[in-house]
Amino acid sequence: MQVPRSLIGRNVLLTVALIALATAIGHLARDHFAAPDFVMLYLLVVVVAATRFGRKPALLASGLSVLAYDFFFVTPNFTFAVADERHLLTFATLFIVSLSISALAETARSSSLKAQTEEMRSSLLSAVSHDLRTPLAAITGAATTLKENAATLAPATRDELIDAICVEAERLERLVGNLLDMSRLQSGVLEVKREWVPLEEVIGAALGFVEGALGARPIRTRLPADLPLIPVDPVLLEQVFRNLLDNVAKYTPAGTPVELAARAVEGGVEVVVEDEGPGLAPGTEQKVFEKFFRGAHPGTQGAGLGLAICKGIIDAHGGTLRAGTSARGGARFTLTIPLVGVAPQVPHEVETAT
Amino acid sequence: MSSSEPTVLLIDDEVQMRRFLRASLSASGFKLIEAGTAAEGLSLAASHNPELILLDLGLPDEDGVNVTRTLREWTRVPIIVISARGREASKVEALDAGADDYLTKPFGVSELLARMRVALRHAAHAGGAPEPVFEVGALRLDLARREVTLNGEDVHLTPLEYRLLSLLAQHAGKVLTHSHILKEVWGPGHAAQTHYLRVYMAQLRRKLEPDPARPRLLMTEPGVGYRLKDEPTSRR
Repeated sequence: MQVPRSLIGRNVLLTVALIALATAIGHLARDHFAAPDFVMLYLLVVVVAATRFGRKPALLASGLSVLAYDFFFVTPNFTFAVADERHLLTFATLFIVSLSISALAETARSSSLKAQTEEMRSSLLSAVSHDLRTPLAAITGAATTLKENAATLAPATRDELIDAICVEAERLERLVGNLLDMSRLQSGVLEVKREWVPLEEVIGAALGFVEGALGARPIRTRLPADLPLIPVDPVLLEQVFRNLLDNVAKYTPAGTPVELAARAVEGGVEVVVEDEGPGLAPGTEQKVFEKFFRGAHPGTQGAGLGLAICKGIIDAHGGTLRAGTSARGGARFTLTIPLVGVAPQVPHEVETAT
Repeated sequence: MSSSEPTVLLIDDEVQMRRFLRASLSASGFKLIEAGTAAEGLSLAASHNPELILLDLGLPDEDGVNVTRTLREWTRVPIIVISARGREASKVEALDAGADDYLTKPFGVSELLARMRVALRHAAHAGGAPEPVFEVGALRLDLARREVTLNGEDVHLTPLEYRLLSLLAQHAGKVLTHSHILKEVWGPGHAAQTHYLRVYMAQLRRKLEPDPARPRLLMTEPGVGYRLKDEPTSRR
């Protein structure tokens, strides 16, 4: 795990402070103990640094221990000079033991981290394979029924089974697509190919795609004609709107109105996608963007990846995405796209009648 | 089997895809010949002269884009490429190499048949003069008289808007890539200036679409280009 830069400085200071503390204790107790006893005090500091602060502070503690021990406790005192050569052996031992401790502590830390990652991965895997199996089971069931009872099935039943296959296959396709997007986002291979595009075009393509899923839900778009072009990857941004609208289709009753509204804001464009459905459960406004988080809605399925993907894509554009509640209690998603770079000019053309 | 059935060559290494296409295309009155590799596909294309080629871009022995280029060295047969989602770049490459259209896996059979109809129709008209009048839904474009009407009312377009619309109309139903349109309408020096095209498409939509944010005619193919609908269906 990466230690944030701000913490590295703090850890170094704490290590130095602990060495100073050990030295002070030793200095006060110097009349009751022999010099080699203080070696133990320094080793204690190394153990603390190695287990709590990481590898670099532990190495620092090892070096400082040897120097402080030499300076304060080895005759002649308050010099780095060494009168007796046997102390050199003590230095070497102190240093090597310190190094070993920090190495061991590092291994222990990374293996526990690895175990955690491993555990998370396997729980993700089981969640994903469950989500993949559910539609597959429905498809297999319907297809084998059709195959084995071809002659005896009533036409209505047959149509139902065929419908089930189509619906579940579509679900499977969405799921696989989401998993693919997620893994692309996470592995960092996602490339943002920015172009200057009208927001209207991106929203139009997304609406065309989810039209079937949205069914009879009235859709209102409020996109000012003078909205600036936005520097985005149009394919990725379309995916964001697709996922947001897919959620509307999944989590709101048929006929629920949906609105997409945009406006120019300082340095960017803001888009609000909101519906008049049941809205997000209170307190989940942050959690909805976590991977594999699913709202507690009965009867809906999905891997809980859609919004995490949206967030990943918007982050990659340097924008923001927030969840909230609309004026009518439905879900509201607000995203901003910053206007990075200089918008290109499109030469004006004189209008002539055709 | 009558000889009037159009012959379709399918080049795809996936056995189950071939099975599905064999069943659905024979049921729709096509004669299907199949190849599992690019090499086999190229030799069947030469020996059987199919009316249409369905080409999977992910073949084991050769990149589908190269296959498209090789075919285009000697034949004008319509090619529809099939590829997976998220591979927009390779679709664009194949289209720019001379493919007529593309399908994204998974696709339904009605979508496939619609694309095939368009490709076959364009092939039948190729070489001849373009249809003088194009009509879809409320839109009517008279190429000879340079007249555009919507619900019978004149629509005033700028010269560039008109060129853009008439290019799309001459290829109605087919996808045209950004760079192809830019070269045709703005000239070869502007092939990379996609924002020109996007701005003019937005202008056209404002003049021709009742709701430009929900286009019914001037469709966007994300990451690839545009397509002018040639059938007034609102659902895809």
